[in-house]
Amino acid sequence: MGIKGLTKVIGDRCPNAIKSNEIKNYFGRKVAIDASMSIYQFLIAVRQQDGQQLTTESGETTSHLMGIFYRTIRMVENGIKPCYVFDGKPPKLKSGELAKRLERRKEASKSLEEAEELGETVDIDKFSRRTVKVTSEHNDECKKLLSLMGIPYVEAPCEAEAQCAALARDKKVYAAASEDMDTLTFSTPVLLRHLTFSEARKLPIGEIHLNKVLEGLNFTMEQFVDLCILLGCDYCDSIKGIGPQRAVELIDKHKSLEEIIRTLDPKKYPIPDDWMYNEARQLFLNPEVLDPKDIDIKWKDPDVEEIVKYLVHEKGFSEDRVRKGVDKLAKHLKTATQGRLDSFFTTLPSSPKAPSKPSKRKVII
Amino acid sequence: MFEARLSQGALLKKLLEAIKELVTDANFDCNETGIALQAMDNSHVALVSLLLRSEGFHPYRCDRGFSLGVNLNSLSKILKCAGNDDIITLKADDNSADSLSLCFESPSNERVSEYELKLMDIDQEHLSIPETDYEATIVMSSVEFQRICRDLMVISESVSIDVAKDAIVFSAEGEMGTGSVKLKQNPSVDKPEEQVTIELNSSVSLQFSLKYLMNFTKGTPLSDQVMLGLSENMPLLVEYKMDDAGYIRFYLAPKVGEE
Repeated sequence: MGIKGLTKVIGDRCPNAIKSNEIKNYFGRKVAIDASMSIYQFLIAVRQQDGQQLTTESGETTSHLMGIFYRTIRMVENGIKPCYVFDGKPPKLKSGELAKRLERRKEASKSLEEAEELGETVDIDKFSRRTVKVTSEHNDECKKLLSLMGIPYVEAPCEAEAQCAALARDKKVYAAASEDMDTLTFSTPVLLRHLTFSEARKLPIGEIHLNKVLEGLNFTMEQFVDLCILLGCDYCDSIKGIGPQRAVELIDKHKSLEEIIRTLDPKKYPIPDDWMYNEARQLFLNPEVLDPKDIDIKWKDPDVEEIVKYLVHEKGFSEDRVRKGVDKLAKHLKTATQGRLDSFFTTLPSSPKAPSKPSKRKVII
Repeated sequence: MFEARLSQGALLKKLLEAIKELVTDANFDCNETGIALQAMDNSHVALVSLLLRSEGFHPYRCDRGFSLGVNLNSLSKILKCAGNDDIITLKADDNSADSLSLCFESPSNERVSEYELKLMDIDQEHLSIPETDYEATIVMSSVEFQRICRDLMVISESVSIDVAKDAIVFSAEGEMGTGSVKLKQNPSVDKPEEQVTIELNSSVSLQFSLKYLMNFTKGTPLSDQVMLGLSENMPLLVEYKMDDAGYIRFYLAPKVGEE
């Protein structure tokens, strides 16, 4: 999942690339959300008190629908216009990573069986969360619910993060929302984190600006991608023994992976066999995405009766709560939204201050 | 060396009252022509831009351009310690200022109080505001404008402003009902408080948040008159002029319907 330790690298090296904001400050913003990642989170996090997933009477899981329904409403209530992006087929390079994940899930289900036999509730809970997998049924059910709610979604040909990034780059949306840091590696100008988290967790939204990250590291986009590969991504191995600190230093000194491979002592830091770094780099720089120009994103009125039919009669949700939710959705999609000044006036580069001199002032970011 | 002496200290007090609700921290950018401030509110809906010209101070001295990063709430608290008739002197070392010193002198010169405010480094986004010829420009009594905003707040949280050839209409629509106030063009010179002038190129109709407008009307004590500038699909300009001393301008993004 994502890039190992990138958050920390950014936090340490370019703290001013990260801003945290309350969700209400994002009104009027269109946002592309990595749906598969969100659904996965919902399946893990949206649970009953005993740690079991929410299900219908016949045992079908509904955690993902619950999550999509209420978290989307929360965003819309705050004036955000969400657009979901679903994963397509995984890229070939990811097969290694996917095999590893499958292995981990198998292990977890074995442990889960053991725990169930022994009746260790804490372990059952822990391992059952680890066996979670987003199936195509989950995805299809979410797509059905979204179209009833009038919320647009896009089916990416390949990785959803890459498509989100493409939409943001093309200004179709303000930002890509994902917990996956490799969305930045796919060069989204702005990445939002924690957007689909529960309100109860009271986590502020983290906003990361790519241009500030590059500025802070003093890297080009190509060098940044190389850094991410070195840190560890989903598409190829990384060099053992090189942590975040070393990775930044190496790119800083040698400027490219080729140069690093040439100069690195193979005895101390063995380069992985058949290292597919160049393929991974191409995947990040030229991912397979739909051309944003061909994508039409439109928000429509929700279909109340159909939503009630689906969620209440088929999936056993409480009718009262569903109707209330849909009311909120309809109200906020309709009312005139507050415009933002930055869409009228252009932002000047931040304060043209004299070269920074040691200052005794308190720093406010 | 930066030094600015303001004989009407009350002006500074009123200015701070007008902006401190909208922004919490801001840079006062000082140079030889005067003191300027530009800041947006947190949610990037409104912007305040103010200018105090050097001519308004006696004397005014600023050798090189620099900025004073200030917590406006703290500054306002300190200014509350100044009397309304006090003369206020601002001083700072423009080379490496880490604090702003404020000196309040009573008119009779018998009481002199001095305060120091710690400064901050504020990284602020600046917006470039194009000079706009507004489709409609209205000059009216600032008190009247404040009253209209307050009255319509009863009905709804947003107001529609419609300007036609000889009248401006403020209207609101809410759950309990509707309300509207119409002001006709009235060039009466003998009663300036009733004066309403409208300059119009084409009629406009826009919707704004009353909460923000109410906030802007905290500038009312600064001037008897307020100027509103409106153009379709452009932010509203609300300007209070302080005679020759400068101005305070508020900009507010309009509410937009479905595109």
